[in-house]
Amino acid sequence: MSGGHEPFVDEVDLKARLKAARIMHEKFSPLIKAVLDGKPPKLVIPKRTLANTVFDPERGILSLGEEVLEREFLDLGESRRFMQTLLMAAIIYQSLIENEYPTIRDLYYKGKHTIVYRDMRGRRREENTWDEQKESDSVIQDVEVYTGLFREDMLILSKEKGKVVGNMRIRSGGDVIDLSKLGHGAYAIESTADLIEILDVDAEFVLVVEKDAVFQQLHRAGFWRRYKSILITGSGQPDRATRRFVRRLHDEHGLPVYVITDSDPYGWYIYFVYKVGSINLSYESERLATPKARFLGVQMSDVFGYGSKKPYLSEAERKKFIIKATDRDIKRAKELLKNYPWIYKNRLWKREIELFLKRKVKLEIEAIASKGIRFFAFKYIPEKIETGDWIE
Amino acid sequence: MARKRRGRGAVTAADEKYRSRTVAEMIAKHREFAGFQNPARALYQTVRELVENSLDATDTKRILPWIYISIREVPRTGSTNGARPWYVVTVEDNGIGVPRTVLPQAFGRVLYSSKYVIKQTRGMFGLGVKAVTLYAQQTTGSPIEVYSSTEGSQYVYMMKIRIDTSRNTPQVLEVGEWGKKVGWKGTRVSVRIEGDWRRAKSKIIEYVRRTAIIAPYAEIIFETPDGEIYYYPRTTKKMPEPPREAKPHPHGVNLEDLREIVRATPAKTLKEMLITEFQSVGEKSAEEFLSKYGFDPDMNPKELLKRDNEELLVKFVEALSQFKFRSPKSDYLSPLGAEIIREGLKRMFAPEWVEAITRPPRSYKGHPFIVEVGIAYGGAIKPLEEPLLLRYANKIPLLYEEREDVSYKVVKSINWKNYNVDFPAPLIVLVHIASTKVPYKGLGKESISETPELESEIRNAVQEVARKLKVYIARKTREEEAKRKAEALARYIPEVAWSLAMLSKPPEKWSPPKPEEVATFKEKLIDIVASKIKIAGMNDEEVRRIVKEIADSVEVE
Repeated sequence: MSGGHEPFVDEVDLKARLKAARIMHEKFSPLIKAVLDGKPPKLVIPKRTLANTVFDPERGILSLGEEVLEREFLDLGESRRFMQTLLMAAIIYQSLIENEYPTIRDLYYKGKHTIVYRDMRGRRREENTWDEQKESDSVIQDVEVYTGLFREDMLILSKEKGKVVGNMRIRSGGDVIDLSKLGHGAYAIESTADLIEILDVDAEFVLVVEKDAVFQQLHRAGFWRRYKSILITGSGQPDRATRRFVRRLHDEHGLPVYVITDSDPYGWYIYFVYKVGSINLSYESERLATPKARFLGVQMSDVFGYGSKKPYLSEAERKKFIIKATDRDIKRAKELLKNYPWIYKNRLWKREIELFLKRKVKLEIEAIASKGIRFFAFKYIPEKIETGDWIE
Repeated sequence: MARKRRGRGAVTAADEKYRSRTVAEMIAKHREFAGFQNPARALYQTVRELVENSLDATDTKRILPWIYISIREVPRTGSTNGARPWYVVTVEDNGIGVPRTVLPQAFGRVLYSSKYVIKQTRGMFGLGVKAVTLYAQQTTGSPIEVYSSTEGSQYVYMMKIRIDTSRNTPQVLEVGEWGKKVGWKGTRVSVRIEGDWRRAKSKIIEYVRRTAIIAPYAEIIFETPDGEIYYYPRTTKKMPEPPREAKPHPHGVNLEDLREIVRATPAKTLKEMLITEFQSVGEKSAEEFLSKYGFDPDMNPKELLKRDNEELLVKFVEALSQFKFRSPKSDYLSPLGAEIIREGLKRMFAPEWVEAITRPPRSYKGHPFIVEVGIAYGGAIKPLEEPLLLRYANKIPLLYEEREDVSYKVVKSINWKNYNVDFPAPLIVLVHIASTKVPYKGLGKESISETPELESEIRNAVQEVARKLKVYIARKTREEEAKRKAEALARYIPEVAWSLAMLSKPPEKWSPPKPEEVATFKEKLIDIVASKIKIAGMNDEEVRRIVKEIADSVEVE
């Protein structure tokens, strides 16, 4: 080993930490003041309930409504959660300052204490600050909505799921990385997607594919070289970093975003997570959703044709690749059509889902790809983009 | 043992012998009238008669009772065969004792009485110990054995007595006499009878226990044939006021009663008889009554007994029940008093809450009565699906026929939820009815009938005490709520204090929070929590101390 023992200093990281810590300190200051003044402490937190999740048609994203909850320490039903929220905030704050990189699992362990006390009758009692990680994860979300900081902003890491390749260069952790020179591999999108500096991009669009396997096939086939593009996958349900990265490419570099998923309710839902956000975590959509993302396929009309549009699959191929929809698929499709205005108010989406309900069949991306990766990469995708055969 | 004046005894010399003899023979023949229908019940009844006599010889004479009860199984003797075991039942007390001259009559003659009065007595059948004497001589051929000495006497006397049923006269078989060396006074009665301890056991034990409940001023020792000893020490010296004798109220007499009164009265005129033999009748009301119903005030009352005047006698009784006399007096009733009921329940059940009341006197059909109710809740009481009901009439526990009883009906019909009681609950309800005439349901005299006046009075009484219970439970619930709150919040204080201390320092000048910084937040939080909690019976400092104690006890692992 050469070189000194100077610890590695990442300026970008440090700046981000300080910024997040300042915001946290600021957000908790009124509470601290209240306690020092002898006033009952309370946290005012936007409600994360489904009822308080609203769709903003102007911006095309899901977001939290106006409703807030007041979490008072003196309220017996809330005191435990109040303690948990403060404890989590303090641990995160400490981690920020002490240059830690906790994961949500680390935070769970760090804050999992056993409170041992004597009750009024002098009996020994025990209580855990939290029992399961589900509980602490939920508290992290509370801290996020209370402070307006995402976990990534607070340098909390999670498993990396997203991958990207294409003609672009980035700087991360002080290193410059050329995403066109990664061989058969790809760049794993880091948890802190906002700390990536995008240096330059030479592409005309972003192609997001649901599945990692299809991503690899397109990569090896040289898709992004032939059609100047950035190729991304979220490996199924995308994590926050992948969604943020897609959004940044769209916002900061004006690239149109095309999404390819399976042709079934689950695939559609993944598309909508990129586009409007997740219903459970609507508070993130503000920065994660890409409302202009386009659903390229696989569409029902790709399989069966529609009007003057000819199907991509012959009668025989169709028989080979299509799968019968399950009852759950049908139920889910009906729910999409019934509950979500951004779906049922969209003429094309309505048509797509009604076609599905009529035919009661679904199709995986692989079906098209198995017809030949070249057909998929060099005919199906470019032709659809060229002819504007997508749903927005 | 005191001689007891139970019920309405015969009086005139002419009739007495005849009537008494019939009664003695009738009782001997029909044991069930006296509660001796089978060996188990007979054993129970024997204990009961003797214990009640002992109580009448003590507490009604203002003596703090000491009562010793023993039942021993003894071998059968003589030519009698059969498998039923014999027992010697012995009851001893420290009562007033029975003078030598009265002993034979008191134990060996049915319905020994000389004066017509009414009085609240423990006695149930107007027969008392004489029925025991009869039962003993019938089943084992043994006389009743009595030792007794009165306060001033220099001697202790012993007599073995049996009853000549055909003549209803006492036969004294053996007499003993000893000079007193120590200051003993009281009565000790032993009797050998046929019985069935196995079957009677639970009822007898319960009888003694329930007797002890309402006599916390008594010291009671009970030795069973199984060799167990039940000991109930005296826990208070307060005793209920003894009952006083009183004349009957005009509304409360029937045809037979009136005959007795007329026979016994020395009065020379109807008017005089009304005034001297009845309560609530004065000069004026007697005159008004007689003129209203057209009786001659100067008529000799004995005239009414003449065969020709039967109709007049009936008319007289009816008139008595219709005329609006003053209400019956109740001051000769002897309630237990709330204090004794409370003490008794507390002593026996160790509840966390107990309350009792004595209601004002009421009357039904000319008979005054007083209802008393005690309620005990929580503590050592075992939770049950319904209230445990303890019934008493004239200080006697009622053990049989519970579901037939008016008290059971009332207690059962009360919606206890309205009083914050959720079953299963640790709840005991004691109902005592004191009256010169308790309206029993059947011959067994173990349950009280649903007399409307009585029922409504019992309901009022139970509700009145239950309302206090409600307040108590509500307060307790609030208190527990407050305590739970104190506990729930206090235990989080250290974590919250640490977190606040952590977040309170700006990132630029951050250092790990010092213990005194955490302590500042902790004290503030204790103040805030304590100020929001109100616990009845605790001032703010005490509440703060409790909150602090819990918060200080916290260890985070």
